Amino acid sequence: MSAAPRNRAGAATGSSTEEIKDLADLPSFPAVYAAALDPRAGRGKSSGGKSASGDRRGAPELPQLAYRVRNVRIDAERARDFDHLMGGPATDLVHPGVLHVLAFPLSLALMARRDFPFALLGLVHLRNQVLQHRPVQVGELVDVECRVRDLRPHRKGRTFEAVSTILGEHGEIIATDVSTYLVRGSAPSAGEPSGTSPSAAGTAPSAAARAPDHRDFTPPRPTGRWSLAADTGRRYAAVSGDVNPIHLSAASAKAFGFPRAIAHGMYTASRAFTESRVDLSRPLRWDVTFDAPVTLPSTVLVAYEDDPDQGAVRCVGWRAGRGDKGPRQCFTVEVTTLDR
Amino acid sequence: MTHSDFPRDALILGGNRIPFARSGGPYAGISNQDMLTAALEGLVARYGLQGEKLGEVAGGAVLKLAGDLNLTRESALGTPLDPRTPTIDMSKACATSLETMIHVSNRIQLGQIDSGIACGVDSASDSPIEVTPRLRRILHRAFAAKTAMQRVKAFSTIKPADLAPVPPRNGEPRTGLSMGEHQAQTTAEWGITREAQDELALASHQKLGAAYDAGFFDDLVTGYRGLSRDQNLRPGSTLEKLGSLKPVFGTKSPQVTEPSMTAGNSTPLSDGASSVLMGSADWAAERGLTPLARVVDARSAAVDFVHGEEGLLMAPAYAVPELLDANDLALQDLDFYEIHEAFASTVLTTLKAWESEEFCRERLGRGGALGSIDRAKLNVAGSSLAAGHPFAATGGRLVATLAKLLHERATETGIVQRGLISVCAAAGQGTVVLLESVTD
Repeated sequence: MSAAPRNRAGAATGSSTEEIKDLADLPSFPAVYAAALDPRAGRGKSSGGKSASGDRRGAPELPQLAYRVRNVRIDAERARDFDHLMGGPATDLVHPGVLHVLAFPLSLALMARRDFPFALLGLVHLRNQVLQHRPVQVGELVDVECRVRDLRPHRKGRTFEAVSTILGEHGEIIATDVSTYLVRGSAPSAGEPSGTSPSAAGTAPSAAARAPDHRDFTPPRPTGRWSLAADTGRRYAAVSGDVNPIHLSAASAKAFGFPRAIAHGMYTASRAFTESRVDLSRPLRWDVTFDAPVTLPSTVLVAYEDDPDQGAVRCVGWRAGRGDKGPRQCFTVEVTTLDR
Repeated sequence: MTHSDFPRDALILGGNRIPFARSGGPYAGISNQDMLTAALEGLVARYGLQGEKLGEVAGGAVLKLAGDLNLTRESALGTPLDPRTPTIDMSKACATSLETMIHVSNRIQLGQIDSGIACGVDSASDSPIEVTPRLRRILHRAFAAKTAMQRVKAFSTIKPADLAPVPPRNGEPRTGLSMGEHQAQTTAEWGITREAQDELALASHQKLGAAYDAGFFDDLVTGYRGLSRDQNLRPGSTLEKLGSLKPVFGTKSPQVTEPSMTAGNSTPLSDGASSVLMGSADWAAERGLTPLARVVDARSAAVDFVHGEEGLLMAPAYAVPELLDANDLALQDLDFYEIHEAFASTVLTTLKAWESEEFCRERLGRGGALGSIDRAKLNVAGSSLAAGHPFAATGGRLVATLAKLLHERATETGIVQRGLISVCAAAGQGTVVLLESVTD
């Protein structure tokens, strides 16, 4: 590993004081989770290293550090398995969900660091926004960079963004993937900035992306139904590598305080992306909000709406009402193809 | 002959099918090949085709076993036809045997062949059950292994869950909704009532029963395995009985406020096979066969149902106007309408769409509505709701029925008769055909 100061023109993010740390290879998910689950890590409690979080009485700070892995090959078999799991044909152009799972262990490793101010397993994935500038071929070599930024107060705690950047061999940015996480319960103090965070795509979240009042949700006419089996989380874990125990089985989810296993958010988002019938040869934006967890096994109804004028396809997924319980919106996905 | 002699007429000379059975009924344990062979044998016997080398036999099945890759060839080889008769297997869901008919017709019209049989078969009782994709890959790895150790290693990765059988998918792969659920939404959107659907279903049973009683099917159907009429036929059914059935589709959809599609006004899963004999005028004349009808034209259409832009089974509503325009006909210029009753509401939504100014202007890009049809000309000898619907056999049933109807009426009246066949198919497709009577 090497550490080098960095301030490159054209970088997606990163301040002049940011350090960039090169890792020899992508970390493995189980190792990252094992580290994150280790109670001795004491994350979120200690005052941390000098470069990162402040002490408990002050506002927490995100580490000014980026992780980078160079020359990562996009595995053709993994991309194929990913496509098949999403119900699509194996294409030579990579599903952006594959780029997400490629970078995910790196951002997890960053968030599992001792100087990261929040506990990894308490994080709630609120939004995910991908801006992809050009298509990616299976087998291509890319660089992956991950950083965290933009800590802000939220009515339920705080949010921050985990930003993954996929770069080509000439250092050009191929795609930026911004995951917004909620840290529940850490009450923001007065004086911290608030408001809607800007996204990597430079667009404000759509109306649907703002915390919806789920009691107001009136489902549209469903255009499809997903019958999600109990092994949905295990099957996504097999292609994504994300073995977070809350997704794998009811038993492992219970151990972490969830009554049932929960589908990976990026599974629902990636499946909706595939079903949106996107031209992968075009630059695109892929915006997702997660409004309620999809428990497993379960049935999710989806409705797609094509908007040819905007070059967009919008999807909403929900679970049907039953008895006294009304229908509940679980996610929205919007894919927009952009001009070259 | 020179090429300038073509295209020439392709003529429908007759048909034969076995009675259609309900899934799990008398044909349980009978294979697609058994049924198709039976239908073809009956056709050969009826038209004296023993030892005849035909131009082609085109057939197909929707639910097809992997081992049946040459289903039509294997079936034809089991008949007294000249074994040198070529065959082809084709597939287009419920429109399969309408498409095999168009295929044979095109070949005859172009002079590539002088005679042929269009046929189709399906068995819901003997549908393919597959292994899981994971088990399939493991088995392929094991079969490809070069050493016993590699083979053992491959087999050792099999988990109990991999051994669960995988029946055919009940539903559209891209939406996860069954055909009935899709149609339930279309039915609700078009405001088709339960009463209208039950009336159509009842009429189908009554007309099919009357046609059997009148001997109409005597030269179109050959008994098989103890069945002499379609097992699903209930000529004594009543609106009360049909009205007492519980809705089965659209019951979970909040958008369908009054679910109306029942087992009585939807087709049952069925087993059966059908065949149609076709030829050129010269070929028919040489064998002393009476042409019933000629194939005038055909069209197919598809709709984008995947994100709900159009109803799954609405493609024929688009294909028919195109077919009529190409032949300078108005919807009302036809003497018979054979609109496949996948569900009673499919027929009713299609008719209502053609009556709708809005649909015809906005969806079809026409100046106005196509208008309504004379219901007395619709499915006059009954249709799929009464007969049942073995997917790939339905087109052949419709073609033989309509050709005979056209010929009979034209002989009676001395006036050329025209008839339409319209078949909707899975995945948002539809095929439509225009036939015209032929008399001596």
